[in-house]
Amino acid sequence: MLSVALRRIASAVPVLLLVSLITFGMMRLIPGDPAAAIAGLSATPQQVAQIRADLGLDEPFLVQLGRWYGGMLQGDLGRSILMGKGVAAVTMERLPVTLALSAYALVLTLVIGLLAGIVAALRQNTVIDQFAMMFAMIGISVPSFFLGLLMIIVFAVRLGWLPTGGYIPLTEDPWGWFVTSTMPAISLALLQAGLLARITRSTMLEVLRQDYIRTARAKGLPARQVVFKHALTNALIPITTVVGIIISLLLSGAVVTEALFSIPGIGGLLTQAVLNRDYPMVQGGLLLVTAFLVLVNIGIDMLYAFLDPRVRYE
Amino acid sequence: MKRAFLRTCAAPALMAASLAAAPWAPALAAPFTCPERGGDLVFGQEANVNSLDQMTSSTISTRNIAMNIYESLVTRDENNNVIPELAEGVEEAPDQLTYTFKLRQGISFHNGKPMTSADVVASFDRYKKIGLQRSTLDNVKGWDAPDPNTFVIHMQRAQPTFLEALSSFSVPIVIIPAENKDDPPQQLKPVGTGPFRMAEFVPGSHARLVRYDSYKPNTQFEQRTGFGGYKVACLDSVTFRIVTEASARVAGLETGELQGVEDIPTKSVEAMRKNPSVTVLPLKNWWIQIALPNTAHAPTDNLMFRKAVQAALGMEDIMDAATDNNYSLNVGFQYPNQPTYTDAGKETYNINDPDLAQKYLKESGYKGEPIYILTNRDYAPMYNAALVMQQQMQAVGIKAELKVTDWPTSVQMSQKVNSNEWHFFHSGWGTQPALGALATMQFLASPGANYRPRDDKGDPEVEAAWSDMNTKPTQKERNEAFARMQKLVLEKALAYPFGSLTKVQAVRAKVQNFEPFRIPRFSNVWMKK
Repeated sequence: MLSVALRRIASAVPVLLLVSLITFGMMRLIPGDPAAAIAGLSATPQQVAQIRADLGLDEPFLVQLGRWYGGMLQGDLGRSILMGKGVAAVTMERLPVTLALSAYALVLTLVIGLLAGIVAALRQNTVIDQFAMMFAMIGISVPSFFLGLLMIIVFAVRLGWLPTGGYIPLTEDPWGWFVTSTMPAISLALLQAGLLARITRSTMLEVLRQDYIRTARAKGLPARQVVFKHALTNALIPITTVVGIIISLLLSGAVVTEALFSIPGIGGLLTQAVLNRDYPMVQGGLLLVTAFLVLVNIGIDMLYAFLDPRVRYE
Repeated sequence: MKRAFLRTCAAPALMAASLAAAPWAPALAAPFTCPERGGDLVFGQEANVNSLDQMTSSTISTRNIAMNIYESLVTRDENNNVIPELAEGVEEAPDQLTYTFKLRQGISFHNGKPMTSADVVASFDRYKKIGLQRSTLDNVKGWDAPDPNTFVIHMQRAQPTFLEALSSFSVPIVIIPAENKDDPPQQLKPVGTGPFRMAEFVPGSHARLVRYDSYKPNTQFEQRTGFGGYKVACLDSVTFRIVTEASARVAGLETGELQGVEDIPTKSVEAMRKNPSVTVLPLKNWWIQIALPNTAHAPTDNLMFRKAVQAALGMEDIMDAATDNNYSLNVGFQYPNQPTYTDAGKETYNINDPDLAQKYLKESGYKGEPIYILTNRDYAPMYNAALVMQQQMQAVGIKAELKVTDWPTSVQMSQKVNSNEWHFFHSGWGTQPALGALATMQFLASPGANYRPRDDKGDPEVEAAWSDMNTKPTQKERNEAFARMQKLVLEKALAYPFGSLTKVQAVRAKVQNFEPFRIPRFSNVWMKK
């Protein structure tokens, strides 16, 4: 298992190299000048040129690339043009915010999605099934931005139960974090929960029709054991794949939610960086986020082996 | 308010002359006192803050916060006149080659250290090295501090507009403790002399300022005025919360989580006006909505073509679309409430005459080639203004097409020398018109980052007027030069200023004495309990 994990991690290196190269190249290919963004409209061409030189942006592409890779080899991802701080430090300030929010949303997704999917499968073609699938359809169809706005109007403005926005770190005040993160997490989770509910339902239905389930029932095993031990365990394999994808979607979907609820996460940071052509921030930030997602996917792969003894890596 | 004799000091040169004759005396009337003290005011700010280094950032979002922390030697009052802030006064030598600033006594930084001329020297040193508008000091030979309370600037050549430039709040030369002079760009430690000091800054989330108890108000004034005056922190703290989404700002204001917001969308204004808990505060003349022709490229290099477009434009429709009906029609590059305002060239404004436009178009020899209007979706007013401009141009027979990019791309495209990628560039001028005619017209003096005539060679008549704006010895002559330059620019259709946009701010009704200005000022603001 360990050697498999190490092999998978080693295979991630070319992926990260490719991502870094694409990001670096893309940022230079798109028009827009960070020096002009910093200098403002009233700057003279000389001032813009001076800032460009200060930032080393007037150097050839390969020189800039070489310097960036050279820095990376020493653990230096560069310095944000707009903030003046180290890219790694800024990313590590913001990434935990998004991760905490995404984790909360993931828990909600799993609870709502799995429950709705399992119940719908067990009560196929009943009112419960139709209700669960209608709920899933709403979750998939309603944009998270609109849902977030609706929740703000209802739960913050009308009922006054939750704050309209803002963020309190989990480490500072767990209850405050819970209160400020609940609406964002729900608005993020519902789309994914709808998706997961539909997949769980169809997977469960397929498994429940298998011979071994019929055998288990014929043996007189309790329904709970049949469903959770025999059916769900087998259904979890394709569901795990989907959960891996959902984690990526939650991270990318957080961009919109963070803006709406004024949460200082990585999504807003990278969006701002792209809009202002903060090259080092985009390059380094995306590389770190990519590295995290690669690790998540390696973890998911490892989970297959744990869940399904038939899967043999060694 | 300032003493009566100070009110006459509208022009920087006059201010210096007055100070040479008599130092500014303490105010006569009782200065402002806080009717109530205490409370945390949470202010919803619309844009993110990347850095609080006021020397290296030109963004409004930075200024919103930093201008409550830092102060400068001189600044601007409510009517944009130059006034002293950390300086008690300034003496201009008769040959205009030396400016001697006497510093106010008893000023201390937020770290408790007394401010001396050594700190001023260090601040100017840092600004000269990395300040974003260090060109302000291009004509300065050097500076020194003959004693702890005196700071002297030596000029290379006489520059009548120097104090005006020095008092700019665009990227001001704020005074910092000498020990922070080597802080890298964007990383200046937020230690100033202002009425509020930094307590907590979480980028992307919020910045919290608290009252600086040792703050010493400027007794030359009785009230806050502009960025200076007699400033007192009545509030315990001010929290700037970044709320980029407009609907969320409105919701926060409604619930009372936010006690003030930087901007509310037009669609919410009426609802907010009906809410007795909210005070709506329109901030007129926030920016000039504008389009600039590319004079380096045909057919916009042709005066008659530019005049045809000028004649086709109806400013009410353009501004209505751009601002959701929150605008004022405005001739030229200054606002009517400003001392340098002039309507010179008004006959070129808001002509909206299709027949005249078609006549000019025929004279220009336009052959129906596509005309590209460069705009962006990052700023809705620019995009909407471009849309209506396109329709008005099409209505007179011009094959106008939009070229929509994001803001950085459109800026970069507009800055290329002899570019043939666009014909009209849409922008908005905010801070510079507020700073005065000199700051604004630099946009139209070649070479400017935003004005690239063919081979960077500007119109000789316009350049001559610009030179006069900078070098004429009296303010009156400089104002006349500005009027001449504005008239020339409009008559030669080198810019199309559409009108001025109104920004709508709002506070909870319990917030008192909050008066919208170029940045939200929190000194002399209090909350009713």
